[in-house]
Amino acid sequence: MSGGGRYRHLFTPLRIGSLTVRNRIVFSAHLTNYATQDGRPSEQHAAYYAARAAGGAGLIITEEHSTHPTDWPYEKLIHGFHEEVIAGYRRITEAVHAHDVPILAQINHNGGQASSMYTRLPVWAPSPVPDPLFREVPKAVEAHEIAEIVAGYARVAGHCIEGGFDGIELQCSHSSIVRGFLSPATNLRTDSYGGSLSNRARLLVEIVAAVREAIGPGPVLGVRLCGDELIAGGTTIDDAVEVACMAEATGHVDYINTSIGVATATLYMIEASMQIPPGYAMFIPSAIRQAVSLPVVGVGRFKDPLQADRALAEGQCDLVGVVRGQIADPDFAAKARSGHSEQIRTCLSCNQECVGRMGLNRWLGCIENPRTGRESVPVAVSAPARRRRVLIVGGGPAGLQAATTAAERGHQVTLLERQHRLGGQIPAAASVASRAELLDITRNLVAAVGRLGVDVRTGCEATAETVVALAPDVVVLATGARPVRPWWAGGAGDFPTVIDVRDVLEGASSPSGRVVVVDELGFHQATSVAELLADRGCQVEILTNAMVVGQDLGITLDLETWNVRAHAKGIGQATDLVPMGVGPADGGGVRLQLQHHPTGTDRHRDCDWIVVAGHQQPEDDLWHALTSSATEAPVYRIGDCLAPRRAHAAVVEGYRVAVAL
Amino acid sequence: MSAGLGQPVAIGARTAPSRVVFGPHVTNLAHGRALSARHIAYYTRRAAGGTGVIVTETASVTANDWPYERAPLAEQCRAGWREVARACAPWSTLVLAGIGHSGGQGSSAYSQEVMWAPSPVADVVTREPPAALDEKGIGGIVAAFGAAAALAMGCGLAGVEVDAGAWSLLRQFQSGLTNQRADRFGADRLLLTRMVLEEVRRRSGPGALVALRLSCDELAPWAGITPEQAAVTVAELSESGLVDMLTVVRGGPFSTSAYRPDAHAPESFNQELCASMRAAAGGRFPVVLQGSVVDADRAADAVEAGACDLVEMTRALIADARLPAKVRAGAAGRIRPCIRCNQACQVRDPRNPIVSCVVDPSSGYEATEPALAAAADTDTDPSDPSDPSDPSDPAPAAGSPVLVVGVGPADPAPAAGSPVLVIGAGPAGLECALTLAGGGRRVRLVERATRTGGALLQAAVGSGRDSLAGLVRWQSAEADRLGVSTELGVSADAALLDQARRDGWTVVLTTGARPLAGRYPGAAQPVLDPLAVLADPAALPDGPISVVDTVGDAVGVHLAEWLATVQGRSVTLICPDTVAGTQLSRTGDLADANGRLQRAGVDRRLRSLVRRIGADSVLIEDCWTAATSEVASSAVVDCGHRLPEDRLYVSAGDRTMLRAGDCVAPRSALEAVLEGRRTALRILGTDGPATERDPVAPATVTAAPA
Ligand SMILES: Cc1cc2nc3c(=O)[nH]c(=O)nc-3n(C[C@H](O)[C@H](O)[C@H](O)COP(=O)(O)O)c2cc1C
Repeated sequence: MSGGGRYRHLFTPLRIGSLTVRNRIVFSAHLTNYATQDGRPSEQHAAYYAARAAGGAGLIITEEHSTHPTDWPYEKLIHGFHEEVIAGYRRITEAVHAHDVPILAQINHNGGQASSMYTRLPVWAPSPVPDPLFREVPKAVEAHEIAEIVAGYARVAGHCIEGGFDGIELQCSHSSIVRGFLSPATNLRTDSYGGSLSNRARLLVEIVAAVREAIGPGPVLGVRLCGDELIAGGTTIDDAVEVACMAEATGHVDYINTSIGVATATLYMIEASMQIPPGYAMFIPSAIRQAVSLPVVGVGRFKDPLQADRALAEGQCDLVGVVRGQIADPDFAAKARSGHSEQIRTCLSCNQECVGRMGLNRWLGCIENPRTGRESVPVAVSAPARRRRVLIVGGGPAGLQAATTAAERGHQVTLLERQHRLGGQIPAAASVASRAELLDITRNLVAAVGRLGVDVRTGCEATAETVVALAPDVVVLATGARPVRPWWAGGAGDFPTVIDVRDVLEGASSPSGRVVVVDELGFHQATSVAELLADRGCQVEILTNAMVVGQDLGITLDLETWNVRAHAKGIGQATDLVPMGVGPADGGGVRLQLQHHPTGTDRHRDCDWIVVAGHQQPEDDLWHALTSSATEAPVYRIGDCLAPRRAHAAVVEGYRVAVAL
Repeated sequence: MSAGLGQPVAIGARTAPSRVVFGPHVTNLAHGRALSARHIAYYTRRAAGGTGVIVTETASVTANDWPYERAPLAEQCRAGWREVARACAPWSTLVLAGIGHSGGQGSSAYSQEVMWAPSPVADVVTREPPAALDEKGIGGIVAAFGAAAALAMGCGLAGVEVDAGAWSLLRQFQSGLTNQRADRFGADRLLLTRMVLEEVRRRSGPGALVALRLSCDELAPWAGITPEQAAVTVAELSESGLVDMLTVVRGGPFSTSAYRPDAHAPESFNQELCASMRAAAGGRFPVVLQGSVVDADRAADAVEAGACDLVEMTRALIADARLPAKVRAGAAGRIRPCIRCNQACQVRDPRNPIVSCVVDPSSGYEATEPALAAAADTDTDPSDPSDPSDPSDPAPAAGSPVLVVGVGPADPAPAAGSPVLVIGAGPAGLECALTLAGGGRRVRLVERATRTGGALLQAAVGSGRDSLAGLVRWQSAEADRLGVSTELGVSADAALLDQARRDGWTVVLTTGARPLAGRYPGAAQPVLDPLAVLADPAALPDGPISVVDTVGDAVGVHLAEWLATVQGRSVTLICPDTVAGTQLSRTGDLADANGRLQRAGVDRRLRSLVRRIGADSVLIEDCWTAATSEVASSAVVDCGHRLPEDRLYVSAGDRTMLRAGDCVAPRSALEAVLEGRRTALRILGTDGPATERDPVAPATVTAAPA
C-alpha cells in the first residue's frame, strides 16, 4: 500500500484558483539570505527550491520580494522592483517546474518594520510609530505615496508572472506595511486609511485589485494574514477573520495563508522553537476556515506527516505549511508518500541554524542537514574510487554523521562508542523537558546508521592498539569533549559539591537545596540545568559574567519563553559577575567569591551546590596516541575533539570528512 | 601651526606626501571577499585629499580565516590592490596592503570551519573555542603571510602592514591571556611575529615597506601585554631591521572596544604609550600615533613633542577626506570635524552596514552618490589628479574655492537660480544652507531659537556627548563664511512662507522634531523632555528621577548617567530591553555604557514597561513575565521617540515642498545632514538619481515634485 494511503488527507489533490496541487504540503515563505548579490535571486535559490520540489512538496512559496525601493530591512532581500530579477525568477521557476510542482512568489513591503540603514531613505509606514525592533520613526505615508506602494505591488507581481511564477502571495501578516495598516497598534491615521477596520483594510483591498489587474485572471493570488499579533492593542482573531472575508469578497483572491505574531515583536511565536507546543497556531486557520470558502493554509511546528494529516482530517485547514520540516528534510513529502516516514530527518525546532542564522544576516542552514543552504554547491555524487574501511571512534553527532555519509557513499564503516548508548552529549541535553526534541537529531542519525548497515559497537573503548588492530584505511576521531574544572573551583576533593552541568544531566550528581548555576557559555546548558533543578525543588540562581543570562537563547527565540518559565519557577538571575574562588560558607555549604566587574566590587553567594556550565576540553588523548604511533592510515579529528562547540559544527565536520574520503 | 602634518616624511626608502595615515578598517565595501570599485573610490578620495599613507582594509591571509562576511581575502585582492595602487599613484600616497589573521577572534559562521589559535582559549566575545595550531599549521600561516606580501608587491603597492593589533593571531601568540603553549611558541611568545615579519620581508623584496600594527597594551595587566613588555618587544624589533614603520595601538580580548572608542575616551589617548614606544624604537623607524587623533593642531603637537612621527587619523579622514590638503592650505579651521560618535563608521556588525559618517554621509558612497561627495570636497576639485600630486604645490587657499557643486547642467525651472529660504537651523538646515551657498545660491536661514544647532546642540551636554556640538558649530561657521544670511529668533509661520514663495524663493523645511506629548496619559508627576532637562536640570523637582528609555540609543543612557553623576540625582533607568542602550552595540559603547551606569549608581530596570505614573512612584511591568513593581520617582524623563515638527508643512498643504531631516521623520544627525545636502543638490540641479540603481526611486526623498 502506498504511503499516500496512510496519509489520505495529506495526499488528496486540491484546486486553488486555476491550479491543482497534488498534495497539501506547502513549503511556505521564509527568508533565506541567499540573495547575496545586488538583491537578485541566486542560483542557490533555484537549487534550494528545486530540492524541495524534487522531494514532493505540493506547493512552494518563495521568500518575499520587495515591492519598492523604500523597503530594505535586511541586507539580502530580493529587490523585486528591479527588472533584472526576472532572469533569476525564470531560473527558479524552471527548476521547480521541472518537477511538476507549482511555485508562487511572495511579494511584500515591510513598511515600518525596517530601518534606513541600506536605503538611506525614510522608512514608510501608516503612522510615525517606531517598530519595536528597528526603532526608527517612519514617515507617515501620504496619499501619493500610498498610490506608489500599490503601483509597486502591481509592478512586482508583473515581474513575477513574467518570471514564470504560477501566482502571487501577498504577505500581509508578520512584517508588512499592509499589516501595519491593518493593525490598530501601528495605524493611527484619521484619513480614509485609518479608523474603522474597513478603512484599515483599504490598502489591502487596493493592492489586491491592482495585483489582480496586473497578473490577469489566470495566476493564483493568495493573501497571508496574521491571526493574532500578540501585542498590546494589535490585531486579534476576530479582525483577522473579518479581513479574510473582505479579501474573499474582492473576488480576486484564491486562498488564505495564516500566521501568528509580529516578526519584530513576537517572532518567537512565528518560528516557534521546541519550547512551544505543536498546533499552537491552529486556532487561526480553524476560525478563518469557518468564515470563508477559500482554501486556508495552517502553519506552525508541523514536524511529522501524521500530525499534518490529522489537522486536515479535523478540518483545521485545507493545506499545511511545513517549513522547517522541509528545510531539515527536502524529501519530507516523498518519504511520507512512499511509506517511509520513519526515514524523515525530523526537524528539531531548535532554530539554531535556520532562524538563528537569519537574524545574524547569514545564509539559511540546518543543524542536522549539512546540505541545506549548499544545494547549489556540487558534491561528488559518483561512488568513490575505492571502497574504504572507515573506522569512526565516537558515536555523538559528529561520528554518527560521518558514519552515515561514509556508508551512503559506499564505504565499509565501523563505529566504536565507549558508552552503551549512542548520541554523545545529546541524550543528556535532551533530558530536560523543554529540550526534549533535541533528541531527534540522534534518533534520526541512529536510525540512519542502522539502515545503512554500519557496524556499530557500543561499550567499546578505543585505544591506539585497538585501532591498529582493526587495520582501517581511514580513522575518524569524534571522541568529543570532557568538562574541565574551572581554575576558581578548587579541588574536587575539597569541594565535591562544585560540579559540572554534565554531572547533573548525566545523573552522576543530584544537587539539592541552594544551587548556584554559573553560566560561562550563554546557551542552553545553564538555563536547562537551572530549570531541571528548580523542577526538582532546588532553590536556583544563575550567575553570568555576561550582561544577560543565556544570551544566545535570543537567537533561537527561546529567551522569552525560558524567562517566563524561570520566573514561574523562582529561578534567580544575576549578571556581570566573575567567579574568583570558592571556600567554605559560614553556616555550612560552599561560598562562591565573585567580582562584579563593572564596579570592581566583591560579592559572594553561599549555597549548597555550584553547577558550572563552562567550556569543555577536547577529548583528544587518542589523537595524541595515534599521531605518535605508527598508524599508516590517515587520522582526522571532527567535532568537539577538535574544539568543543555546538552540534552544528559536529554535523558539518562529520559530513565533510566523509564526503572527502 | 599644524602645517607640519601636511609635509612629506620619509618611511624606509620611500617618502609619504604627508604625515597623515588612513589606517586599515572594516568598511563592508567588499564584493564577496575582494576589494570593490567602492573601495577604490573611497581610498582614492583620501589620496586626493593629501593623505600620506593608506593601509587598505585588512585582508585575511588564509581562506579559513573569515572574521566577518565582507572581510577581504588576500588571494582575492589582486585586482583591487592593483587598482588602488594605480588610482592613488597621482598623489604619491603610499598605499600599504593591510594583511592579517584573526585567529580565535574570527568567526566560524562563514567558513563553517574551526578557528585556529595558539591555545584552545575561547574568545570573550564569541565564546567559541578555537583549536590549537600545531607546528605544521603555524608554518602554513607564516607562508600565507609571505604569499600575501608577495602578491601585494606584485600589484604595485608600496608595502604591507602586518596586523598584530587588537583582533589578531599574532597578538594572541604574544599574550599570556591566549598563549598557554608549552612549546617554543610559548617559551618565546614573539617568535611567530618575528617569523612572519621575516617571511614577509623576504617575500616582499627590496624596497618594500613592512609596517607593523602592534597592540602595546591589552589593558589586562594580570596576564596580558603591558606597555613595559611592549617596549621590550619594540626594542627587539627595532634591532631586527624587520620593520619600517610601527603603529602603536591598544586592545586585547577584554578590551576590543578600547581600540577605537567613541568620545567617552579622551582624544589622542595613546599619546603617552606611543611616546614610550618611539623611545624604545630609538629612531630606527617612524612611529605612528593612533587612537582618537581627530584634531590637526593636536596631532601636529604630538609630532612636535616627539611622541610620534606620523599620525593615524582614520576617523578624521572619514569625516573630511581633504584634511591634509586643508592643513597644507592653512585652512585647518575648515576641516569637517570628526565628533568621535562611532555611529556610522563602526561597521563590524552582522548587518554589514556600509562605512559612512554622520559629519560627511558621502563617505563610503563615493562611487554610488558622487555628487554628494563632491559637494563636501569644495575646497578643490578632487577629480583633477594633477592638482595636489606635488605636496609643495598647496591646494588653493581657503576663501577661493574651486567649486564643484553648482557647475552641473542647467538648473531645472522654475527654481533656476532662485534664492532659497531654509527654515530651521539644525544639522539638516545648516547642511542644506551651506551646500546651497557653496553652490552660489543666495540663502536665508531662519531659526526660531536664539542659536543655531537644533536638537543636536541641545543634546551635546556632558562627557562623551559634548563633542557632538562640533558638527553644528562647524556647519554654522561654514555657513557664515559662505555668506548664508542667518536670522535667529525668527519663528516662521504660514505668512512668512507665503511671502517667500510669492517673492520667488524656494523654500526648504528643516524644522526638526517635537516631543510626543501625552505618551503617558494620566501621569500624576511631571513628565519631561530630555532636551529640556539637559537645558535646565534645576527644573526637575526634588526626589528620585525615572528615565524612561524606549529607544535605546545614547540619549536615555547618557541622561541617566549625567543626572546621577553631574547632577547628583538618584536615578532609575527603565527600558524594555535586556541591556540598557541596546542600540549602542553599533558604536562599541554598549558594555562600557552599562558599566558606567552601574558605577554611577543608576538603578537599571531592564525588560520593563511603564504601566502607570503615580504621584511619587512609577508602576512598571516585566515585558515577558508581566510581573509588576513600583519605582520611587518624583519626575519622569521621557526619552521615547519624537514626532516630526511638520505643522508648517501640513498647514501649507503643498506636498511638493522640500523637506529634510527630522521634520520628515525624526532620526539621527546622519539622516539630517544627508537629506540636507541632498536637498540642496536637488535645488542646484546637480544631484544624481536619488538612488543610483533604483529605476523607480521614490520621488519623496524630501518630497520633491513628482
Ligand atoms: C527562517 C525563517 C524565516 C521566515 N520568514 C518568513 C517570511 O519572510 N515570510 C513569511 O510569510 N513567513 C516567514 N516565516 C514563517 C514560515 O512561513 C512559517 O510560518 C513558520 O516557519 C512556521 O512553520 P514551521 O513550523 O513549519 O517552520 C519564516 C520562517 C523561518 C523558519
